[in-house]
Amino acid sequence: MAEDQTTRDRRAPKNPTSDLWIPGSTLSRRQALKIGGVLTAGSLLVACGGGSSETTPTPSGSSGSSGGSGSSGGSGSAATPGATETPSQAAGTPKRGGILRYGLSTDPSNFEPHVSTGAASGAVKLMVYSTLLTYDANGQLIGDLAEEFGWVDDKTFEVKLRQGVTFHNGDELTTEDVVFTFERIKHPDTAASIAGRLAALERVEAGDGNTVRFHLSTPLATLPYILAMNPSMIVSKKWIESGVDPKTTMMGTGPFKFVERKPGVSIELVRNENYFITDLPYLDGITFIPMPDDNARVTALRTGTVDFIDYVPYTQMDALAQQSGIVLQTDKVLGFGWLGFVHDREPGSDLRVRQAFAYALDREKMVQIAFNGHGAPITGGLIPEGWVGYSPDLEGTYNVDYEKAKSLLQEAGFSNLTVDMLTTSTYSVIQRPAIAAQAELKNAGIEANLIQEEWLTFRQSVQDAKYPVHVWGTAPDFNDPDFLSDFVGSNGNFAKQFHFSDERLDQLLTEGRETTDESLRNEIYHEVEKRVLEILPWVYLIRREQGEAMADYVKGYTHLAAGSWSQITLRETWLDK
Amino acid sequence: MTQYLARRGLYLLVQLLVVATVVFLLLRLVPGDPARAILGETATEEQVARVRHQLGLDQPIYRQYVSWMADVLRGDLGTSITSGRPVATDVRDRLGNSLELIALATCLSLIIGLPLGIIAGLRANRLPDFVLSAAAMLGLSLPGFVVGTVLLLIFALRLRWLPQTQFVEWSENPGQHLKLVILPVLTLAASTVAVIMRMTRSSMLEVVRQDYIKLARAKGLSERTVILRHALRNAINPVVSVVGLELATLLGGTVIVETIFGWPGLSSLLIAGVRARDYPVVQGVVLLIAVLTILINIAVDIAYAVLDPRIRIS
Repeated sequence: MAEDQTTRDRRAPKNPTSDLWIPGSTLSRRQALKIGGVLTAGSLLVACGGGSSETTPTPSGSSGSSGGSGSSGGSGSAATPGATETPSQAAGTPKRGGILRYGLSTDPSNFEPHVSTGAASGAVKLMVYSTLLTYDANGQLIGDLAEEFGWVDDKTFEVKLRQGVTFHNGDELTTEDVVFTFERIKHPDTAASIAGRLAALERVEAGDGNTVRFHLSTPLATLPYILAMNPSMIVSKKWIESGVDPKTTMMGTGPFKFVERKPGVSIELVRNENYFITDLPYLDGITFIPMPDDNARVTALRTGTVDFIDYVPYTQMDALAQQSGIVLQTDKVLGFGWLGFVHDREPGSDLRVRQAFAYALDREKMVQIAFNGHGAPITGGLIPEGWVGYSPDLEGTYNVDYEKAKSLLQEAGFSNLTVDMLTTSTYSVIQRPAIAAQAELKNAGIEANLIQEEWLTFRQSVQDAKYPVHVWGTAPDFNDPDFLSDFVGSNGNFAKQFHFSDERLDQLLTEGRETTDESLRNEIYHEVEKRVLEILPWVYLIRREQGEAMADYVKGYTHLAAGSWSQITLRETWLDK
Repeated sequence: MTQYLARRGLYLLVQLLVVATVVFLLLRLVPGDPARAILGETATEEQVARVRHQLGLDQPIYRQYVSWMADVLRGDLGTSITSGRPVATDVRDRLGNSLELIALATCLSLIIGLPLGIIAGLRANRLPDFVLSAAAMLGLSLPGFVVGTVLLLIFALRLRWLPQTQFVEWSENPGQHLKLVILPVLTLAASTVAVIMRMTRSSMLEVVRQDYIKLARAKGLSERTVILRHALRNAINPVVSVVGLELATLLGGTVIVETIFGWPGLSSLLIAGVRARDYPVVQGVVLLIAVLTILINIAVDIAYAVLDPRIRIS
């Protein structure tokens, strides 16, 4: 065990405490950077109790608390809230060797590092590339390529890179690569997924030594979380400029090196012998095998032809949980579904109608109908437990009340409402809640004609506001309540599709982005949640359970509370056989 | 014959031109934007517009058509919008896998379906016929995803005889490759056997009632000679056309089997292309399927003439 601890300490990045320097404190910038640490978007200066950076590293391993006093990050601080199964697979002393056969739910469309093309390709890219920051097992932000990081002032963020990190081609990682990466992300031709979130980023500059500074036009409390997002992976300037096509090949600083892709067959990665965390990864390699058929993927795990699968279908969760030799790791906090309205058209333009929809849904029943119980109702706010702005007091705001729904409709002059409701037939996790909602709405006298379209046709129809109501589902794209901007901020993609805008929400969301004080942010996002429930730009449905399943000899993997970045723990995964 | 082939070759070109044009136009009528498909849910309208421009999708349709046609005539099928790989490479890699599956399934179906069809035809309305016809109905009515999944559950999960591991090429590991090919071939053959059997049965039924069969029997020829030399020879042509049709259908129609068994064939490439509105991929695959379908038809015509000397190719 002692040896285990040493290993962890050695491999852990230097992220000492959960305490953090903020602008205007008595600490010098250098001191603050030294403390660096588990950065909370709401950065309160907490007495750091001697937690000096060099001596008490935070284990990035799959167990152990993320050290120190102080408040938690903006993201899940509680270990895997809502997790239904073993939260961690850590047991015993890690062994080197072996190839993990990974049944992947989708054949990734391509490897472009800065455009997110779904969770499956994200998982693959995350093994080859690294980000500046990442999350530990408890959902705390820690350094990845960053040795230290922190705010210099409210518009400048500084990252000190680890020394001696090399790309898979042997080139050393330089500050120039980091600057180039963010220039590439900001360039319109890249069409990078996080370009919109980085609108306030003016420039990135290489400082003295191994530091990089992010200069902002307005404060952006979410920046550290953006730097931990999958599509902000650091690329080699020289490599990209050599004319390679990053859609078809990969080369980064991650734990595994890209070997070969056989389209539709496999993606092969081997261990990076020079990974910047000593001793990691434990595996000799990972072979990703695309298995888009749910049954085939589960069967492959059950017959031992793969060791690990992602996107466990809810229909098979019970069967897998009961099978000996298989471990399931899931959460019920991230994926969610909603009813969207077109706000400048009847009947969605009337608040009472939207409220009627919200009251007309017995979400407990919907969880049963749609997901065989593998989900959770959303009767209050959307921000998951453990995140900044989590508002348990709002729970139950929209408990089912058919009579109230009926009277609201009557008041609005829409008794016996018949409405076209759009959804997609491509993804059952979206389609099934829609079918369940249709049945529920009937109880309140709403006749919803369910229109089911293929995915891209569906998206086009939503874009064109072809139908007054739609049912959709997704998961937050990063671990900060600012993900709500996409949906209820007037510039958000989804809000635009709802034809929705609200000045009060815009103001609150801007404040939330610009405020670094965590308790203030808590208040702001609580207000956001309250306001959303008041004016209902959209109506929440249910959360879905999602996660991975693996053979019991696969150890060290952790389904993180912090979003879709769980696969980062594959670097700590080992095979006990 | 040479003249015939030359004429069919000319038709082939015209047919291909029509197919190419129709596919090109139809694809653009389908709602959904390739740019939106590659950029995901978070893309802004500006980004979508930018990528549309990069892909040349903001050009007038006729200009897109002309430039694609010019490329195709030069033998260049273009580059996949989603994967960034040349369409020709992907199509070539997948074509072999598809042909292998289809050829094996068709051979197996002939080996099983033909004799069973003959038996059913000769024993029409008797017990063997009832049993075989019922089995054929079952094979026809069970959809591929049911047959495939059941086979997977029995042979991979329960008995563990044929574990469905990652696809390997014949050249890499022939033994493993054989193990992998069995279940998809059986799944495909389940319905093809039924089709061939039913066609053979009805064709045989018709032929054995003919006068020349009576004459052959009256001459004292052995039953074996009567059936194989005289009856089957005359009954085979409709079966050949059915086989031709089945082959053409299977070319783009094995997607379910490919998905269930992780077999990297042409159909799954086509479906993935359609789902992502990857125009170059869909156009490339459809063109190839069109070429093959026309070639199969030519082959069927030639087979008629070979099997039945009364038919002249002209």
